[in-house]
Amino acid sequence: MIEVDNLSKTFKVYHHRKGFFGSFVNLFSRKHRTVQAVDTVSFTVERGEIVGYLGPNGAGKSTTIKMLTGILVPSSGSVTVNGYVPHRQRKESAKHIGVVFGQRSHLWFDLPVQESFELLQRIYRIPQAQYRQNVEIFDELLNLGDFFQTPVRQLSLGQRMRADIAAALLHNPDVLFLDEPTIGLDVVAKARIREFIQRINAERQVTVVLTTHDLDDVEKLCKRVILIDNARLRFDGELTTLRRLLSTERLLSVDYAEIYPDVSIPNAHIVYQEGARVQYRFSPEEISAADLIGAILKKFKILDISIQEPDIEDLIKTVYEDNLMLERKLAEPISPDTQAN
Amino acid sequence: MKSLYLAFQVYLAFTMKSFQKRMQYRVANLAGLTTNFFFLLVQIFVYTAFYAVYTGPLPLNLHEIITYFVLCQAFFMLMPFWGTRSEVTSAIKSGDVVLQLTKPVDFQAYWFADECGRAYYYLFMRGLPTFLISILFLDVAIPQQPAVLMAFAVSMTLSIFMSAVITITISSSAFWTLDTTGIVGMSYSIITLFSGMLVPIALWPEWLAHIARWLPFEGLIDVPFSIYLGKITGIDVWVAIGKQVAWNLFFLGFGRFLLTRGFSRLIIQGG
Repeated sequence: MIEVDNLSKTFKVYHHRKGFFGSFVNLFSRKHRTVQAVDTVSFTVERGEIVGYLGPNGAGKSTTIKMLTGILVPSSGSVTVNGYVPHRQRKESAKHIGVVFGQRSHLWFDLPVQESFELLQRIYRIPQAQYRQNVEIFDELLNLGDFFQTPVRQLSLGQRMRADIAAALLHNPDVLFLDEPTIGLDVVAKARIREFIQRINAERQVTVVLTTHDLDDVEKLCKRVILIDNARLRFDGELTTLRRLLSTERLLSVDYAEIYPDVSIPNAHIVYQEGARVQYRFSPEEISAADLIGAILKKFKILDISIQEPDIEDLIKTVYEDNLMLERKLAEPISPDTQAN
Repeated sequence: MKSLYLAFQVYLAFTMKSFQKRMQYRVANLAGLTTNFFFLLVQIFVYTAFYAVYTGPLPLNLHEIITYFVLCQAFFMLMPFWGTRSEVTSAIKSGDVVLQLTKPVDFQAYWFADECGRAYYYLFMRGLPTFLISILFLDVAIPQQPAVLMAFAVSMTLSIFMSAVITITISSSAFWTLDTTGIVGMSYSIITLFSGMLVPIALWPEWLAHIARWLPFEGLIDVPFSIYLGKITGIDVWVAIGKQVAWNLFFLGFGRFLLTRGFSRLIIQGG
């Protein structure tokens, strides 16, 4: 369904000199540097899969999505989506994909939702029966009826997002690209959108590529995740594999009663230290939480202590930092006792 | 053929939405109308004073000058970079252009439709009222021959199309410079002058008028208005309209070339 082979994208970024004088120099000479936004990324996605495409801000997620949707032209490498090369056959390719950018709306800002939908019906040449059926289904799942006549600019973020996702699916696309579809939404709205994506995927076999910073999105929706960082592919596989490799790591935050010169504890790595507040990262395989807390209590006086699960950004950071280690781990066959963990 | 008809319907729908969208801002329109008449009166006073003291021969009499500026006030909002910006122009700046690119539509045609919606809105909501009210209170010439009115309608339609293709061509520079304020500002001044919006080209010194005749912008204002006033007649009407068509095709092609080049180096604002 989607094939990406050695895909790269470089941007030229112009260097702006600072200050009043510098702005004059800029007029005559401009320096630029090349930024590698996506670097030799390869993966394939099969029909009906939901893939989480994850990475920290600026990792190259959106750039990849834009190349997959035909907006950006790759610097090198190849992309095919539904058998089309998106940037060469943009219009053809566009008929078979749906795109949602969480931070932008592709509805007509000043028009009621319904009129935007009718315009889309014309653009995609959706047969009347299919259009009516889709609107009915989406209304049932997303309660569009509440705001179907409201101009888009008056919608709440949650309503707008629901309308946007429905709009992207009106023409029954084979592939749906969702770029941060739950950004800024409350828990209820998020849950509703996830449920909707799940159903559409299950009932229509729509392939979904999802970028998000929300670990819940990933957990609820994706079996498979692709991680990129600094423009490069870091991990491509089952979410459970990733968890097994990484989620053993925990964070322990401690507020000490006073500032100690040396707060290092064996088997725990200090993530940061700010006055009397220290955060450790530890792996339960090396030291149990109880032992770690015990060791801390033995040495220091504390005010407060808390354990956190690492969030997705940290997971990704770990992948990046321990890249070599992860690759080694992946190469090893998984022994039955680690699997039991 | 059917496919062409369906495509036309889509772009017509874009034009209508662009029109309809602007209908919501009624107070702004009323304020704009008032401004129209304010400037119209200023122009009429200036030329009345000028004609009162100047006794030499002039290619346009006062009656024709007043008609010219009534038409100007009725139509200047349709010209490139006047009035509110079209959706696409702001979309390039904000980066929302990516969403238009994910749709199976021709981008230039979409933009053209959007600009036409803008133009027709100003034609009906600003142009017609300005013209009709002016007829009641001012000494406005109205062509007696239907052929002249027909030629004017054709020429004015070509002017509206040209306004759209010029806007698209110049605004595509946004793909290179990201901020078009400079280039748009410059084009706007050149267009305002060389279209004959400030002073009819007939009144210009010979050498400057000669330059204007070689530029496309006279086709926006001066050509259709001169046809209206009966200053261009007979075979010259066909020549003038032919030139408008040629310039339209030029900007259509050049704009298409720029857009194609622009997309290949597109950088989206805001990631």
